[in-house]
Amino acid sequence: MNPILVLGGGPAGLSAAAELGTLGAPTLLVEREKFLGGNPERWRYSLLVPDLKPTAEVLGGLLRRVGEDPRIERRLSTVITKVEPASKGFRVTLQTAGAEEQRDVSAVVVATGFEHFDPHRKLEYGYGRYPDVIDFKDLEGMITDDRILRPSDGKPPRRIAWILCVGSRDVQVGNPWCCRLGCAVSIKQAVEVRKRHPEIEAYVYYIDIRTYGLWEDLYWKAMEEYGVKFIRGRVGHVTLAEGGSRLLAAGEDTLLSRPTEVPFDMIVLASGMEPGRGTTEAARLFGLKVGPEGFLAPEVSDLNPIDSGVPGVFYAGAATGPKAIVDSVTEGMGAALRAYQYARD
Amino acid sequence: MSFVASSLQRVRPSTGEDPAPTPEIEITGRRELTSDERELAGTIFAEFRADPRYHRFVLGCLNCGECTSGCPAARFYDFSPREMVQVAQNGDATTLWDAMQEKIWACCQCYSCTMRCRFGNDIGGIINVMRELSVVHGLESTRRALAPFRRTFTLLGTIGTQLAPDMIQPEFFRDWGPAATATEADWGVPLEILRKAIPVDVLQTTRAAWEVSVQTSLELFRIYEEAGVLDMLRAVDPDLVEMLVDLVEERREEFEAARERYRNELERMRGPVATFPG
Repeated sequence: MNPILVLGGGPAGLSAAAELGTLGAPTLLVEREKFLGGNPERWRYSLLVPDLKPTAEVLGGLLRRVGEDPRIERRLSTVITKVEPASKGFRVTLQTAGAEEQRDVSAVVVATGFEHFDPHRKLEYGYGRYPDVIDFKDLEGMITDDRILRPSDGKPPRRIAWILCVGSRDVQVGNPWCCRLGCAVSIKQAVEVRKRHPEIEAYVYYIDIRTYGLWEDLYWKAMEEYGVKFIRGRVGHVTLAEGGSRLLAAGEDTLLSRPTEVPFDMIVLASGMEPGRGTTEAARLFGLKVGPEGFLAPEVSDLNPIDSGVPGVFYAGAATGPKAIVDSVTEGMGAALRAYQYARD
Repeated sequence: MSFVASSLQRVRPSTGEDPAPTPEIEITGRRELTSDERELAGTIFAEFRADPRYHRFVLGCLNCGECTSGCPAARFYDFSPREMVQVAQNGDATTLWDAMQEKIWACCQCYSCTMRCRFGNDIGGIINVMRELSVVHGLESTRRALAPFRRTFTLLGTIGTQLAPDMIQPEFFRDWGPAATATEADWGVPLEILRKAIPVDVLQTTRAAWEVSVQTSLELFRIYEEAGVLDMLRAVDPDLVEMLVDLVEERREEFEAARERYRNELERMRGPVATFPG
């Protein structure tokens, strides 16, 4: 059997590769970055929702299985530049540091994931202009290092705001979808900050709180146990206050129907999820169906989110839409099974 | 008395000083409607919903309040563009009627709500539709609200407005909208210079745009006539319209006479030239 190609070394790709290895299938895992672990590793996520376990603990097992399995060939810093149909599967061209190599593969799992929305594009929040306006993935790194300090002057913040749905649910930037994770991750961050530094006030500005399913517990506990404050309404724009030493978030408290302006020391933007670069490229190379949002569209989205419609190509993870790690890992398992069935027949 | 002083309560004074004593508050919308008013409210509601702009301007609402957070009117008065979207979507004719009494006149039509709306609503636009209807139907409250603006109408009608579509070219507003680039360094030119470089077809710069030629102002008035603006205004303020027509008629005659003199002069100058054979 020619190897089964897994595109992307994030949670979904790792899960697919680990299962393929367990099934005894030769596996070729291709990752653009020079490390495995995907966005959680790239942005150094601290604790993962919903159980608030460290990233290393959650993904460590998968990384170990993939790293130790002799049937899995790992190709880092590698991209696919060309795909040709073969009698069974595809002939793909791998490119590593300028060097190209052709390989025949019997099936493909596309696990190319997402990119965080670039908050520079929401100019009104001043990301890139005010150093204390940060992205929530920046805060992940700070929490991981346990150094929650204002980037501008290195002082500890007294009050932090989280702004949800930055680059999500927004036709102005062309992203009308919900990112699904922004609420839970932001609330988790507010809880982590309050747990470590009870003296810091935490405000979350929201349109709707979507800590869906059992994650609702996180939302309730944030209020009950950690005193996180929730303001229903969006911040319209951020300016400077107090001689430029603090940030001023102006918005409407839509429950009170009153304008609100609150000074903050740091503002954290919950940037949404967009289709990853690799996702767009995979669609082009393999001729995959793309939905109106730019994510890959499964052939039958309700009953089978894994089959692409192109024979031999299967999906896993956030390449088909915003997804939690647990769902990406589950889909990785499903995609491994479908790809294995296809390659074996 | 302007609409501002009559019934919209100031929610936040602009200075730290004590606000002026509250004036007599008359909330026209909250009293019982007469049967005539109820009937008119129903007619207005039907026309509002039948307006072809309605479904283009009002798409839905997340109630995020981003429109209100940037609204200059919301900052000072009990007015909110978000509330206007709720009113526009509400199925009750009286709700629309109430909002059309005075609230719609708090809007300064800057359209910053429209630019901000993440749902793609045109909020300034739908408020404008409400305003049109209140003018067309000559609502008593509209008469009162617009009375202080007679002088403005007179100037706009007889001299002309100052905005040209050219002024809103993206090139000169790189700090606006979703495609905005991040910093002044990216623009290459200071923002101030960009804004000053805005070409206006007739007059080149924004500063000079305040001077309108007689011909342009007469053409504008012709547009008001042909587009039915004067007919609309007649329902609210017939005296003002008559006065405007008189004033403009006079300017038109002056302009025609000047043009005639210019033509004659030109012919006189061209006369001898034309007599020379090729």
